[in-house]
Order: sequence, then C-alpha cells, then structure tokens
Amino acid sequence: MTTQTTELRMPPKPRNRWRTAAIVAALCTFTVLTCLPAIGGVELDFAGMVRNWANGADKMGELLRPDFSFLPRTITPMLETLAMAVAGAALAAAASIPLTLWAARPSNPNRVTRQVVRFIINVNRAVPDLVFAMVLVAMVGVGVLPGLITLFLFDVGVVVKLVSEAIEGADHHYIEAGQAAGGTQSQINKATLLPQSWTLYANQWLYSLELNVRISAILGIVGAGGIGRLLDERRGFYAYDDVSVIILEILVVVMIIELCSNLLRSRLR
Amino acid sequence: MTTTTLPDLTLPTRPSRLRETIAAVLVGAVVLVSIIGLDIPWTELSDIPGRVAEYLRLMFAEPSWEKLPRALFETWRSVSMAWLGAIGCVVVSIPLGMLAARGVGPAWLRFVLRRSFAVIRAVPEVIIALVLLTVTGLTPFTGALALGIAGIGTQGKWVYETIESAQEGASEAVRAAGGNTAEVTRWALWPAAAPALMSFALYRFEINIRTSAVLGLVGAGGIGTMLSNYTNYREWDTVGMLLIVVVAVTMVFDLVSGSIRRRIMEGGRARAVDR
Amino acid sequence: MTEAASTTQPDGVATPWSITLEDVSVTYPNGTRALRGVSAHIEAGEMVSIVGLSGSGKSTLIRTINGLVPATSGRVVVGGHEVTGLRGRALRQLRGHIGMIFQSFNLADRTSVLNNVLVGRFAHTPSYRTLLGLTSAADKELALRCLDSVGMLEKVWARAGALSGGQKQRVAIARALCQQPSVMLADEPVASLDPPTAHAVMGDLARINAERDLTVLINIHMMDLARQYSRRMIGLRDGEIVYDGPAASATDADFEQIYDRPIQSRDRMGSAL
Repeated sequence: MTTQTTELRMPPKPRNRWRTAAIVAALCTFTVLTCLPAIGGVELDFAGMVRNWANGADKMGELLRPDFSFLPRTITPMLETLAMAVAGAALAAAASIPLTLWAARPSNPNRVTRQVVRFIINVNRAVPDLVFAMVLVAMVGVGVLPGLITLFLFDVGVVVKLVSEAIEGADHHYIEAGQAAGGTQSQINKATLLPQSWTLYANQWLYSLELNVRISAILGIVGAGGIGRLLDERRGFYAYDDVSVIILEILVVVMIIELCSNLLRSRLR
Repeated sequence: MTTTTLPDLTLPTRPSRLRETIAAVLVGAVVLVSIIGLDIPWTELSDIPGRVAEYLRLMFAEPSWEKLPRALFETWRSVSMAWLGAIGCVVVSIPLGMLAARGVGPAWLRFVLRRSFAVIRAVPEVIIALVLLTVTGLTPFTGALALGIAGIGTQGKWVYETIESAQEGASEAVRAAGGNTAEVTRWALWPAAAPALMSFALYRFEINIRTSAVLGLVGAGGIGTMLSNYTNYREWDTVGMLLIVVVAVTMVFDLVSGSIRRRIMEGGRARAVDR
Repeated sequence: MTEAASTTQPDGVATPWSITLEDVSVTYPNGTRALRGVSAHIEAGEMVSIVGLSGSGKSTLIRTINGLVPATSGRVVVGGHEVTGLRGRALRQLRGHIGMIFQSFNLADRTSVLNNVLVGRFAHTPSYRTLLGLTSAADKELALRCLDSVGMLEKVWARAGALSGGQKQRVAIARALCQQPSVMLADEPVASLDPPTAHAVMGDLARINAERDLTVLINIHMMDLARQYSRRMIGLRDGEIVYDGPAASATDADFEQIYDRPIQSRDRMGSAL
C-alpha cells in the first residue's frame, strides 16, 4: 500500500476462544477417561495387538482363499435367514401402522397416550438387536422364533420412530376438513391420513427389510437361527475358508436386496 | 331417498388397478411363503407368552442391584470402546471420504474408495468385528478397533455426501475469487461441511454404544460380556438389572448426544440420518 | 350431463339453519384476543360475507360456528343447537350439519377425489365402517351426485393432488355438500385462486345458496366480490364488528373503515375477464 489510508477500526472479534478451549478440554478429558483401565476404560495395548496380529495373520490369509465347495451347505441357512428377514419385516409393518398413528401428533392429539407409546418405542430402541436375541433365546429356546421376534421388535422401533417423525414433519391441512365434517380422529386417520402417508411407511418398510437381512445374518451367533449359526460354527472350528464363503454370500445377498429395494423405492410416489 | 328418480350419472371408467393388485398378491405370496417356510414350533406358540411373562417377572420383579458397581464399571468399558471406536472411525473416514467426493480426488481413487465403502457397508458390522476380534484377540482395545473399521463404510459415505452437497454453493465462490484446491477446501468446504461432519461423528458414537454391547456378547468385554455371562448362569435378577442399565445408559447417551447434535446443526437443517 | 340435470337438487335438501352469536369472545392460549364481544344474527337461507383484513378475527369467527375454535365466553347457537359446551359425539353430530370449505382446499392430495368427497359422510357413518373401508351404496351415490353438481364428476377417480386450484376447491365444495349441510361456511375460499376461477367458485356458492336455500357464510377480504355475491356484509376489525348491513350499498368509505386504511388495489379481485 502506497497511499495513506486511515487505519481501519475493527469491531471486536467475538470471544469464542474460551468456549472452544473448554469444548476441546472436555473432549480430551473424556477421551483420557476412556483410556484408563482402572475405572473400566480401554487399555491401549498396542504391543499386545501387534502380537495378536502376527498370530492372526495366517487366519487372515485363509480368509482371502474362500473354499467355494462349501457353498451348497450354506443355501438352506441362507434361505432361512431371508425368510426370517421378510417375515419379521412384514409382521412389523402390520404392527407399525397403528403404533405409528399413536405416536405421531397429527394422528393422535392425546398427549398422554402419545408419550406412552413413544416411551415404549424408545426403550425398545435402546436394546441392541443381538441383546434382544440372546435374552429371547434364553426365554423361548434356540431356533428361528427368537430371531423372528427380535427382528419384529427391532423393525417396529425403527419404523414407528422414523415414520411418526416424518408424519409430524408433513402438512396435514385435510385434518381440519375432516374435523369440520364431524369425523372422529380414527375416521380421519383411516380415510385421509393413511393414504396420505403410505409412501412414508413403504419407504421405511423397505429400509427395515434391508436392515433385517443384515441383522438376521448375525442372529445365529447367539442361537437365533439363520446363516449366522453356521458362521459361528465354522468360526469355532477355525475354518476360515468357509467363513469367508459365508461372508461373501451375505455381502452379495445384502447388495441384491438393497438393489431391489432401491428399485421398488424409486417406483413409489 | 329420492335418488332413484334422478337421471343416471355417466361415470368415467375407473382406471385399471391390475398392476397394483398383481404387486399386492406377489408381496403377499412372498410373505406367506416366508412365514410358512420358517421352522416355527407352531404347536408350542401358545405357551410362549406365558413363558416370556414368567421370565420377565424373574428379571424385573426384583432386579438384583448387588452387582451394580461392577455393571457400571463394565458399562464404562463399553462406552470407552464406543468412544475410541468412533474417534478412530471418524479420523480415518474424514480424509478418505473427502478423497471420495466428486471434484476432490482423482476419478480412479474415488471409484476404489466408494466401492470399498459399499462393501464394508454391506457386511454386518458385527461380522467384521467378529472376524477382526478372532484375528487380533478378544480385548476391549481390539473391540474399539473393530468398531472403528466396521463403521468406515457408512461414515465414509456420509462424509462424501456431505462434502458434495457443500461443494455446490460455497466452493464456486472461492474458486471464482481465484482460490486453489487447498484454499477451496479450507475456506469453502470445511466451514460448510464441518457441522454436519461433527454431527455424524456424534451419531457414530451413538451407534457404537449399541454395537459395543453386541461385541461384548461375542467376547470383547464390557457390559455385553457381563450380560452374556449372567444369562448363561441364568441369574435372571442380575440379567434384569443389567438390561435396565443397558437401556438407561443407551437412552441417556442418545438424549445427550442428540441434543448436542441439534445444537451443532441449529441454523442449518438437521439432515435426516438414515444409515 | 345437461345444465338442467345438474341444477336439480339431487341429494336431499336439508332445512337451512339460522345462526346467532351473543357477545362471543375468543382468547387464544397465547393471550391473543381474536374476538371481542361479537353479536350477530343470521337468518336461515341468508348469504353473508364477513369482510376484514387478515388478523381481524374472521377466521376465528367462522370457526366458532362449528366449534373448531371454542368460544371463550358468550353463546353460539346454530339451528337451535348451542355450540358452546358441546363436546365429543354431540359436537361431531352438529358439525355433520355444517359444511366448510377452506382457503387451501384441505384435500388429502394422495388419495382419490371420491375418497375426499366421502370425508363429508364421516358424521353420518359409524367409525367401524370407515375403518373397514365399507362405503354404503347410498353414500357413494350421494358423493357422485355432489361431484356432478359442481361439474367434477369427470375427475372422480383422479388423485386430488393432480387437480388445479379451482378444481380442488370444487371438490372441496362437493365434500361439504355431501354432508347435506344446513349451513355452509367458507374461509377465504378464493384467496388462492386466479380471478376467473375465483368468480366461478363464488358463483357456485351463490348458486348453492339460491338453489338449496342454504345459509352461507363467506370470509373474504376482496370488497368487489363481497358486493357482487352477497346481500349482507359484516365487517370485522380487531375482533369487533364495525359494519353490518347490505353489501351492495357498502361505500368505499365503509370499506376504509373496516380496513382502517385507504383502499388498495389488492382489496379487489377484479372482474372475471
């Protein structure tokens, strides 16, 4: 600058530095606390990991050499997995219709029942899928039934939460018209709100089906049926070439289901 | 009613519903075949509600709080796994996801990265973790590592989607002002994408809280392992207590993390997180 | 369909009701006083326009008549039934006799025109029948007649969302007629429509009033439409009645008093052409 300019007077910069420092400090403290084995934190044992890794390297090598002669034995459990996924999603879809209507404000103006349903759904969603499966296996015995119930509960949680939120995010002018015509809330819901919202439902039903294929593949690990049982068994025998086949198969099936689901979804309107 | 005396209405023909009907029948058939094909003990089905009720009574009528300190200790271990796993996942997926975004890295790298993300996404997280755990040893540390790796598929996808949606507006302005790629990244992409990325990082933590409990079931330690053990011992009152702890802890972390996420995203529209 | 056929009164004409408001006030939970001591009497079969700016309380006023907004104090009597104090089933039954149309049409866009018109039968249908999707033949016939009377029979199977604004408002009128109402309420029915369509819809309402001898109340802020289509006009300002008299002879000065400002071009819809 060669010309003489008057000095610019800056407005004071907002003092965010302390807040930022406090947030960073809090994050660091939290992270340090998670690394203290004395209070339950994780021991950062790099040496041990390197040691284990050396032991496990040949297993990894085996994983890269799938033994496809094992494939025929996986077909039946895989079909069982798929059947569980479909049945669980279908049953959950049916149950999700009334539950969602109870959980969304436009379809249920009653605050008390709405909060009760939401609370139950939130508790349900807080239980990890495999934990449900394990407890249910202990209750009703090994087999597909606990797996089916797990998928059902999981899907109901997902669908009811996401669809009720989507319904609350949409406009529902027609509800006032239904009220003005002297309709009950359930008449309004059935005749107008459901047809209006059914693509929201259908989207999440498809999504829950996709999730189900992924989850039902692992339910067998705790004894709840499907291909997971075979996977766990082969892993127990250290038959990593077979494990590899199963994982590849799951991968392919999941991708196919996703593809189909995306195709169907694009046709929804 | 006087309607019968009125002239008949000429109704337009109703559009054909044939395709919808066929689709409905097909879906119904698939569902039916699936349910029938399942090996469900239909005859015993009627005693199941009674049995479930009995177990629920055993678990929750008088949950045993005696082992609560131990449960909290193990819970912290699970939370630690989830947190460290989330950090690992985010630290790896942000650069990889950025490289996978359109207009940042070269096309071949973008292709490779996106394919890898898709493959990791398609395999259930637990299976990735399970395999890793058997290879690297059943310790909480490897559990955290497994969580970190298993989450990359989804997290990487979120990152490049976020970057791409941020690119459209701000980066053009910086480019128009003569900025190079590094400057665009620093002054356009980062400010536009940072809130969403932070929010996704926290969301990863929420997901990991659940998954870390599941990893515990297969032996990685933490509350899941404790739950698995006491279920095997059939000490139902302790199992009941542990379930209450799991649910309460998960809900509290969801609540806290969810409200922080909303604060981060406030102003911007909170993006729906689907997978 | 000939014009003659559509001007017959197919769907059972209900006797029109009178409306009486006695010192009606409405205060919303957030403290807004929307109506302050409004009193008026509307004869059975009258066609009345309620004129005022947005925020003057006319939407609230019209909603106290079918109880969508409960009056905080005062009495609302419709056809001999006291609306204030009615709840639940009795209120729904009463609403069944009061048709209503809205500025934004309030149709369920993703379902068919027929289903939307059948909404008008809610109060006359047991809940379980609606839940099971059972429509009686008589209700369906009635819905079709109502659609025909507004010239929308062609679109009976169309999705409501696929219609134009004017068509939507006609379907909404059919929905209200399907209730076989004794009173018809219209809340800014033409505010979202272009001038030709607006005149057509106002014409429909005037025809309904003339043919069926139905009591019609129309909220409107366009002074020319109010003058042209209604005989009596009630002016509202800040929740109070500031004009009540013949519509045709209302002067620009009267309107300026209602609007509390000089008349602007947006206070007129303009002619249909």
